[in-house]
Amino acid sequence: MVLVLALGDLHNPHRAPDLPAKFKSMLVPGKIQHIICTGNLCNKEVHDYLKSLCPDLHITRGEYDEDARYPETKTLTIGQFKLGLCHGHQVVPWGDLDSLAMLQRQLDVDILVTGHTHQFKAYKHEGGVVINPGSATGAYSSITYDVNPSFVLMDIDGLRVVVYVYELIDGEVKVDKIDFKKTATTHA
Amino acid sequence: MAEERRRFQNLRSVRWRVDLGILPASPEASVEELRRAAADSRRRYVSLRRRLLVDPHLPKEEDRSSNLVVDNPLSQNPDSSWGRFFRGAELEKTVDQDLSRLYPEDGSYFQTPACQAMLRRILLMWCLQHPECGYRQGMHELLAPLVYVLQVDIDKLSEVRKLHEDCFNDDFDGVPFPDTDMVFSYKPRKDSKWGAGGDADNGSVRASKVNTLDELDLDTKDIILLSDAYGAEGELGIVLSERFMEHDAYSMFDGLMDGGNGVVRMAEFFSASKVGSSSSLPPVIEASSSLFHLLSIVEPSLHNHFIELDVEPQYFALRWLRVLFGREFCLNDLLVVWDEVFAYSNDMLLSNDEEYSFRILCSYRGAFIAAMAVSMLLHLRSSLLATEINTSCLQRLLNFPNNVDVQKLIEKARSLQSIAIDANTSSPSFLLKKDNYEYDRVHSNLATSTPPRTPLHPLSESYWEEQWRNLHKDGTGPKEIEKGNSFSRSLKKSLSQRLGLSRTESDPSPVKAVRLKSDTKNPVRRCLLNTLSDEVIRSREVAGKIQQDDFPIVSTHKEPLLSSEGPSQLKAAYEDLTVPAEPADVSETQTAEACVVEACSSGENSPVFYAARAGDEHENNHDSHSERSSITSDSCAGDNDRDEIPQDEPSNCNCEDKTVSESASSDKNSEPVGPSERTAVSNERKPFISKLQWLLKLGRPSGEGNTDKGTCETSSDKHDVVAPIPSPSDVSSDNSRSSINLAPGDKKVVGTLKNIGQNMLENIQVIESAFQQDRGQPSPMENFSNNILGGKGQVTAMAALTELRKISNLLREM
Repeated sequence: MVLVLALGDLHNPHRAPDLPAKFKSMLVPGKIQHIICTGNLCNKEVHDYLKSLCPDLHITRGEYDEDARYPETKTLTIGQFKLGLCHGHQVVPWGDLDSLAMLQRQLDVDILVTGHTHQFKAYKHEGGVVINPGSATGAYSSITYDVNPSFVLMDIDGLRVVVYVYELIDGEVKVDKIDFKKTATTHA
Repeated sequence: MAEERRRFQNLRSVRWRVDLGILPASPEASVEELRRAAADSRRRYVSLRRRLLVDPHLPKEEDRSSNLVVDNPLSQNPDSSWGRFFRGAELEKTVDQDLSRLYPEDGSYFQTPACQAMLRRILLMWCLQHPECGYRQGMHELLAPLVYVLQVDIDKLSEVRKLHEDCFNDDFDGVPFPDTDMVFSYKPRKDSKWGAGGDADNGSVRASKVNTLDELDLDTKDIILLSDAYGAEGELGIVLSERFMEHDAYSMFDGLMDGGNGVVRMAEFFSASKVGSSSSLPPVIEASSSLFHLLSIVEPSLHNHFIELDVEPQYFALRWLRVLFGREFCLNDLLVVWDEVFAYSNDMLLSNDEEYSFRILCSYRGAFIAAMAVSMLLHLRSSLLATEINTSCLQRLLNFPNNVDVQKLIEKARSLQSIAIDANTSSPSFLLKKDNYEYDRVHSNLATSTPPRTPLHPLSESYWEEQWRNLHKDGTGPKEIEKGNSFSRSLKKSLSQRLGLSRTESDPSPVKAVRLKSDTKNPVRRCLLNTLSDEVIRSREVAGKIQQDDFPIVSTHKEPLLSSEGPSQLKAAYEDLTVPAEPADVSETQTAEACVVEACSSGENSPVFYAARAGDEHENNHDSHSERSSITSDSCAGDNDRDEIPQDEPSNCNCEDKTVSESASSDKNSEPVGPSERTAVSNERKPFISKLQWLLKLGRPSGEGNTDKGTCETSSDKHDVVAPIPSPSDVSSDNSRSSINLAPGDKKVVGTLKNIGQNMLENIQVIESAFQQDRGQPSPMENFSNNILGGKGQVTAMAALTELRKISNLLREM
């Protein structure tokens, strides 16, 4: 029963001042065990804020991040799942599933989390899951201005992961849930 | 209470379940009923558990999408199942903190993971079911012994099972149907006769064993019947079942915490709210004060000691009550104690409109708990009394010794239990205020039912009234004696103080009637004189022992009765004393008293008057009254004079110089009379004086016949009063005596007068003492609150003066 928060692309302070208030009210410390962040927080304040939510924080480097020490990609194991993290601007074409699948195979992970497109996506692909949590602040992207703030909460429980997607649509938080089950015998 | 053999004597878990109301309590309840009750309680638990312990992961078949906004893990919505999950998780964390410290010694049953898990679940469930209470530290300690006894009984069951395996087998109807083919289908049994061979006697194989239930002893039979898998309610009804241990433990815990519609609800002890108590205090504070109240009745010295050290009962009683003494005794002793506690019923004893002081004492069980606490305090009594500061006292209390004889404590508690129950109803509104403590002491010791007064003028009013009331309870009965004793004790104390003092100290008689109707004076007088002499005698034996006493007020009054105070006051006192008609008697009485006293004591106790009189006597002059009076007052005023007076007194005391004394007294009387607003007839007093003196010398009781008569007679004109004075006094009387004819019957009159006089005397002494206080003379008594008297000295003095005035008025009217 591990709760993992996945978010990214906040672009604070350049493109967005802060997380939406409704998101902030939901994110209280103590409930979440891990945070994985795709990148482009941009400044240190966001980093500290996320650290206050949960001490176990994993970040990969986005192209606008001010802290240059973040790695390009990261892998970690939570429960029975292997998670991979990357910002996604390195994978061209941006947001292309096949290319991301290549990265997933390369990292050898069950769940790949990338960002950069500022669009929420979740694919089941070849025995694994590719998740894009979108932009937590709703910052505009290179591709589009019309961005809804969104982030993802994963509930990893044994061989099953439940993905809750939180989107702020028209000022209201909408929640969706996706179930993934890992097959006991893993991938190719 | 458990004289008759209680059912399931050896099966604690069953017995406790009966006591806590889970299983039917009537002695005729059949095994079937027991089983059904057990099954019901278990079902309740299971339904509760299903409801409360919700796993948010369980896929709900319906409404996959509907309430995701509510039911997501981050939802702040209190209804969300995730919210409940998180709350439960927090509760669990708190519970775990306590459980990890439960009986942590090695090999402890409670530290095994299975037991810990069970305890955790039970506590969680109960707290979720009672969100208003939440989880408080200590609940786990209440639960642990309950689980323990269940486990013990299950172990017992398995032993019985081993011993009497046959009774537990699954054969239908208990009749073995022999298998057709011995070779292939014999059931290997330990007890089967292997060597039985080709006998077709299968039927007899088991017949020879002890396997009819009736042959077993009652306990084992009980165990077996209760555990029959095919009895009522099947497996769910097996009363001693390992499988349902958690269910049973939960029911017992719930029964204990909720009190089963009774009075004592342990859950209340954990709450800080004021619900459920008769006063405005949290229940546990009220219960703590109840046991202090009981202690004050039973052992006032210890109670006073606590109050002095500022030890409030809840400092230690909180732990005792919340865990029902779980921390004070080792587990086995605790089980014995809890046997007793649960054996008493928890039903409310009082009807709805009856007043009570403490809620906990309204049931036998609660009263026993309080009594147990008090008996534990009494066990530690000597060491507690030896402690000087409150921290050491508390240390002693919080580290209850391990090697106690629990049975003795329990027996003592049983004896105190009835006192507790009575105390609850006899004196309502005894609660709370610290001021009331003194009242509690005084009043409860007097066993009167007077309600405590507001401490506005506590001493002035209650002291005197109390004295008066005490006096009027005289006659038969231990009360009088007891009061006399207590008075004597207090006097003893005061006297012992004065032993070291060179001054003559006035020693008031122990009891004083305040609102005097003269007709009440004689018994007063008798009592006074009795006690006075008693205590005087006893004072010799006192070695300065100070007692925390029943009558602190009394003693405080007494102690500072050192001599010499404001002369003006004294004069006033004299004035009051020398009220017309009777004053002579009064002084006579006093003289007589003085004589008596002197005769008894070594002259250390002498009321002011005696001193004064002695001074007068010393003067021995019949000259101007005023002159004498001035001398008198001077002597009174001066300590030095005082000192020499006592020596003089003995010489005078024998009333040899009756003339002198009487003249002296008369002089004395006259002196204050002059300035006094009341006119006094000095000549009339003389005969009285002498007469009274003589009478007193002869022995008190004579004069103390019926007050009424005496009063009536005295109520007549002074002359009349003078006239009927008994003749015996003529013996010693002189000149003045001639004018008086005391009739024998008037001894009563004299007695009355004596009483009056004595009262006046005492009042004066009080005034003196008040002034003594005013002067700030160090009082030898340290125990009692000198502060009591300090501020109230004036009050007392004024009261005493008013009394004197009243007395004199009364006498005047006569």
